[in-house]
Amino acid sequence: MNIIALVKQTPDTAQLSAAMDGMRLSAEGGPRIVNPWDEYTLETAIQTREEHGGKVTALCLGPPEAADALKTALAMGVDEAILVSDPVMADSDCLTSARILVAAIRRIGAFDLIVGGRAAIDGNTAATAVQIAALLGVPLVSYVADLKSLDPSARTITAVRLLERARETVTSRLPALITVVKEINEPRYPSLIGIRKAARASIPVWKCEDLGLDASAVGAGASKVAWQAELPPIREANVEMIDGGPEDAARILVDRLIEEKVI
Amino acid sequence: MLSPIEKILFAIVAVVSLYLASVTFRRMIRIITRGQGRLSWDRPAGRLMTGIKAVVSQNNMIRNRPFVSLAHTAIAWGFILYVAVNLIDVLEGMVPGFVFPGENAAGRIYRLLVDLMTAAVLAGMVVLLIRRFIVKSRTLDVAPQVKLHPGAVDGIKRDSLIVGFFILGHVGFRLLGASFDIAIHGPDPWQPVAALAAGLLADLEPSFQTAGLHASWWIAVGLVLAFLPWFPYSKHAHLFMGPFNLMTSPDRNSPGAMDALDFEDESIEQFGAGRITDLNRTHITDAFACIMCNRCQDACPAYATGKELSPAALEVNKRYHLRDHMKSLATGGGDEEPLLTYAISESALWACTTCGACTEACPVGNEPMFDILSMRQNQVLMESAFPNELKGAFTGIERNGNPWQMAGDRMEWTEALDFKVPTVAENPDYDVLLWVGCAGAFDPGARDTARAIATVMHRSGIDFAVLGNDESCTGDLARRAGNEYLFSMAAEGNIETLNAAGADRKRIVTGCPHCLHTLKNEYGALGGRYEVMHHTQLIADLRNDGRIAVNGEEGTRATYHDPCYLGRHGGEYEAPREALAAAGPNLVEMARSRNRSFCCGAGGAQVWKEEEEGREAVSDNRFREARETGADTLAVGCPFCARMMNDANKRAGEPMRVRDIAEIVAESMQE
Repeated sequence: MNIIALVKQTPDTAQLSAAMDGMRLSAEGGPRIVNPWDEYTLETAIQTREEHGGKVTALCLGPPEAADALKTALAMGVDEAILVSDPVMADSDCLTSARILVAAIRRIGAFDLIVGGRAAIDGNTAATAVQIAALLGVPLVSYVADLKSLDPSARTITAVRLLERARETVTSRLPALITVVKEINEPRYPSLIGIRKAARASIPVWKCEDLGLDASAVGAGASKVAWQAELPPIREANVEMIDGGPEDAARILVDRLIEEKVI
Repeated sequence: MLSPIEKILFAIVAVVSLYLASVTFRRMIRIITRGQGRLSWDRPAGRLMTGIKAVVSQNNMIRNRPFVSLAHTAIAWGFILYVAVNLIDVLEGMVPGFVFPGENAAGRIYRLLVDLMTAAVLAGMVVLLIRRFIVKSRTLDVAPQVKLHPGAVDGIKRDSLIVGFFILGHVGFRLLGASFDIAIHGPDPWQPVAALAAGLLADLEPSFQTAGLHASWWIAVGLVLAFLPWFPYSKHAHLFMGPFNLMTSPDRNSPGAMDALDFEDESIEQFGAGRITDLNRTHITDAFACIMCNRCQDACPAYATGKELSPAALEVNKRYHLRDHMKSLATGGGDEEPLLTYAISESALWACTTCGACTEACPVGNEPMFDILSMRQNQVLMESAFPNELKGAFTGIERNGNPWQMAGDRMEWTEALDFKVPTVAENPDYDVLLWVGCAGAFDPGARDTARAIATVMHRSGIDFAVLGNDESCTGDLARRAGNEYLFSMAAEGNIETLNAAGADRKRIVTGCPHCLHTLKNEYGALGGRYEVMHHTQLIADLRNDGRIAVNGEEGTRATYHDPCYLGRHGGEYEAPREALAAAGPNLVEMARSRNRSFCCGAGGAQVWKEEEEGREAVSDNRFREARETGADTLAVGCPFCARMMNDANKRAGEPMRVRDIAEIVAESMQE
């Protein structure tokens, strides 16, 4: 089994608040983590390899510091990690990102299974993996909550999809692309031996020319979607204490609420 | 006394016995040296005294189970004397006409002493045999849910029976020999016990008497020679491995201070203990020193509440594994099996609260807690197999600097105070650094305690500061959960912060005994040396210096729960009691208090995971005991004890008031 795990590095949204700098990470670098959904991606890929043998390659598109996310992937147990990173790729939208990643996947070579997370917590489009499947022309099984069976010789995969009101069991041929949800497994905590191995591993960085892509085909210029940073409006609230007995206080409160057009 | 043929025979038997003993003892030594690290043997004179004191005083024994310990003392003292007696008997047998020390006052005292001690040993042994085989004391059993070597139950009984009869036989025939001697040579008022039997032997044929004298000598001395090579296979080896273990134990800053692992050396490929030879030498020695008395099991909170853990069973299983593989282990093999398959179950491994009651209770200095911690290290660092709930706590320490995964402000707790708590940046010339701890910063209950500590310090005019958002988890829970790597990273970060804040030249006060333990007893090995106090120690000092005046409500009754990491691990039992008494309430002690205190159930990272399956929650057991004192207030000194006791209190319908001593003191302080 040749398995490719799609990994993205995202801001740790749990820690971002006032430090948010538009859609980008805060200027100081901000706390960055492996996209939480991709922890399930990695666990699924590694478990599949543990069961059926083969190799897991973690693939990540992002700035140079995204190599940290791949270190985590290596520490968890993937065999190889590749970072696709080129300054001209910055601000690619999801379709452009999908095209870049498809070029990278073609360069990796033959694959049996591509695993991705249901979405990345930053852009939250949940579209990149779908577009990759379309561009590659392989079946997509999204929102997988359970990998029921995988038969490398019959080249089929049966998975349970977690939909809004139902669970759907789907059988597909391989190669295929699946996206997983958190119900699928419990991502492992990297062992120290894994962390050490990851620290020693070198992560190749592929640029546009490595992928045979023209700089004009990537980045903001090639993208249909552009983001405009809008921070949530600052809410201004005043607290006003109403004195007086219950009846007086209630009357004043009702008057004020009518005045403010609340009731 | 012996005939020439007997002498030759004895020489042959002695040589064979000593040779075989050298084989088995060498095996035992080789097995110990297959462990990691070294046995401690610095300052040999002091260590020798430790061993001698332990054997002679029997102090480690008598503090628990007094009656049984008395019987043990009789046997132990008898055996100390019998080392000399056996040597003298052999000399008297081999050297014609030699009598020690001769027919004089010293000889009379010697004979009287031996005679009485012989009787004491026999009586002591009979008591112990009755206890084990007739009364069948339940404390010698191990509960069925605990993993125990299949041969251990019968093995221990058999071993005890053999040892029992060896002692009865050895000492009994020595006595019979003395009786024959009296029968042959006439009465001896200095051997009253031997004289009792001598009367019965007086009428026998002289030739029969002589034969009896010889036979008694042979059996008494021969039993020792027969037993000698078997010692390393028998739990009875404790009689020298126990003191040996006490003498070669590492010097720890505290009974719970762990050794740091070396993460720099790339050649090290094993962290923690997966197999028996991964354990430290001192912990392999533990298995040989263990007499399987179950004192540690009696003290263990996990065992008392029906978990799969028994520290005694762990030592027994280690020992039986060593015994089963004595030869192969001594020659470099025998350690293929993981400890988790035979020494302890996985649930038991994660049931330990690291309260240190087992190490405190052990008369021979065993540290089953450290085996557990080493095995946890293997599970986390090598296998990545540990209770899933701990992952959140680990990730929290890594990313948020606190196990709650809270992204909030570490100064929020100060907002409700009517004075300002300055950070080190705002008050760089502070005298005392208040280490708030993650609990104090984020846990609602512990925030009250943090505010109470700050209030006491503020009102007594102490110039203090906090680290604010520069403070980060000490890593105690990571270390106790086996994640030494995360601990070392947390410690490194905090040491840097503390030193930058000049805390290495100031005093640190903390409300959390777990922070106290790591900062005070464990950061030193990593380069951070600090003077750290618990808040109750500060309060006791302030009161003794007359710097705080309290007028608490008289007549209320409070009981105090000793936190394991302040008490057993920190050695502080008095200050919290003084601080509490100063605030007014009358102190009522629980039966299990001070060094026998029963854990609340939170330590050893337990509070961050589900409690292992058992009969009841550790906290419920402890709370029941607190309630039985009749006190209305349960005073605590640790945010985690507070949380466990509060939860137990709620489950019981809130019959008590659970408060930290700092809160009780702050309330009673005069404005």
